[in-house]
Amino acid sequence: MNSSEVARLWKSRFGIPEKAFAGYRFFRKAQSVWMISASDLPNLSYEALGMRIMNLKDRPWKPTTCALQILGKHATKNLVHLNESQAMTFLEGKSLPVDTNLEPGYVVVLYREEVLGCGLYSRGIVISQLPKERRMTSCS
Amino acid sequence: MERYKDIIPNFEAFKAVLHRPLFNCCRINTLKIERARLLERLDEKGIGWRIFDWYPFGLKLDVQSPGKLLENLLGYIHIQEELSMLPPLLLDPQPGEVVLDLCASPGSKTTQISQMMNNQGLVIANEPSLARVSPLRSNCERLGALNVAITRYDGRNFPRGSFDRVLVDAPCTSEGRERRGRGTIARSNRKRSLDLQKLQIGLLKNATRLAKPKGVVIYSTCTYAPEENELVVEKVLDDARLERISISGLKDCPGITEWSGETMKGDLSKCARYYPHINDTGGFFVAKLIKN
Repeated sequence: MNSSEVARLWKSRFGIPEKAFAGYRFFRKAQSVWMISASDLPNLSYEALGMRIMNLKDRPWKPTTCALQILGKHATKNLVHLNESQAMTFLEGKSLPVDTNLEPGYVVVLYREEVLGCGLYSRGIVISQLPKERRMTSCS
Repeated sequence: MERYKDIIPNFEAFKAVLHRPLFNCCRINTLKIERARLLERLDEKGIGWRIFDWYPFGLKLDVQSPGKLLENLLGYIHIQEELSMLPPLLLDPQPGEVVLDLCASPGSKTTQISQMMNNQGLVIANEPSLARVSPLRSNCERLGALNVAITRYDGRNFPRGSFDRVLVDAPCTSEGRERRGRGTIARSNRKRSLDLQKLQIGLLKNATRLAKPKGVVIYSTCTYAPEENELVVEKVLDDARLERISISGLKDCPGITEWSGETMKGDLSKCARYYPHINDTGGFFVAKLIKN
């Protein structure tokens, strides 16, 4: 998969400039896209190349939380800024009502200007998309 | 354990410290946060920390479950044993190089190497076990390591390459982890060490073959058994030379040169042994080799 194809999708949804993707190579395996720092890859049999950044299986395509934590700081649209108690709810992996006017779909969720991860926005609700192993447990 | 009586200095103090648990330690992941900003965050939360005397990105944390900290979930820190941060430091990878981590999972050292290279160049993280690839991948993704490619070869048969640097953090009897959970020393014995030695020699020989001429090979274990340490390193001294290890702020003991009444060849005293009662850490062994 070439860099400009990937960049076009991220620009259209999140307004991330194409230059954020410079210096990386992209590979598609099944429905996933992987991003790795550009360098010559020795002729070996690989299990994984860099970071899985997006899943093209469903419509719309879904960004991974780890990719948003790297690329999301360049995003200019479809951002949701949370307050402290909302951030805790999001980090626990739950849904939360937000008072915002966004296009339905995946959003960059931030707290104090830091990207927490990926949310799914629809009709005034953000559903946390944090992978289970990246969630806070309520008791801590 | 008594078989180490003559090689571990101040043996009674060594035995006594094994009952004391270790501090929780973490590495600051500068791929995702600046060091000063991370320290500020810990201060804001009232979490006590102390920087290692020998490594500015290693911290002792005064907290019960550091794995549950938001800073860990977001990949700003990585929970890692103090001496586990030593092999990458000695490997000294540079941005743009091609580095092989032959026994990579769970990726603490892999991601530290990636951090030291500032995500530039390439780290091949090899891990034969499919079950152990999952935590390796997960740690690379959480920590934002973007220059890591994962392979699944048996390290003894990793096929080809010409690497600037190779790390062999070998499977071992883990006697040095006793302070993390009692019993590893009791379960360990000479026979287990000799079984592992075959694998360790195979790994180190292949690592040496895969390094470029003048390339660096680091061999490390978290065990005391000479069978798994000096007696492994001895086997590659025709193809590489040892370089003496010295880290300011961390006291090492020289590698041993005699064991079971036999004198080893080469200057194995250039290897470094770390004992828990000397630096208040776990136990560790490291050798730095330069390929001919």
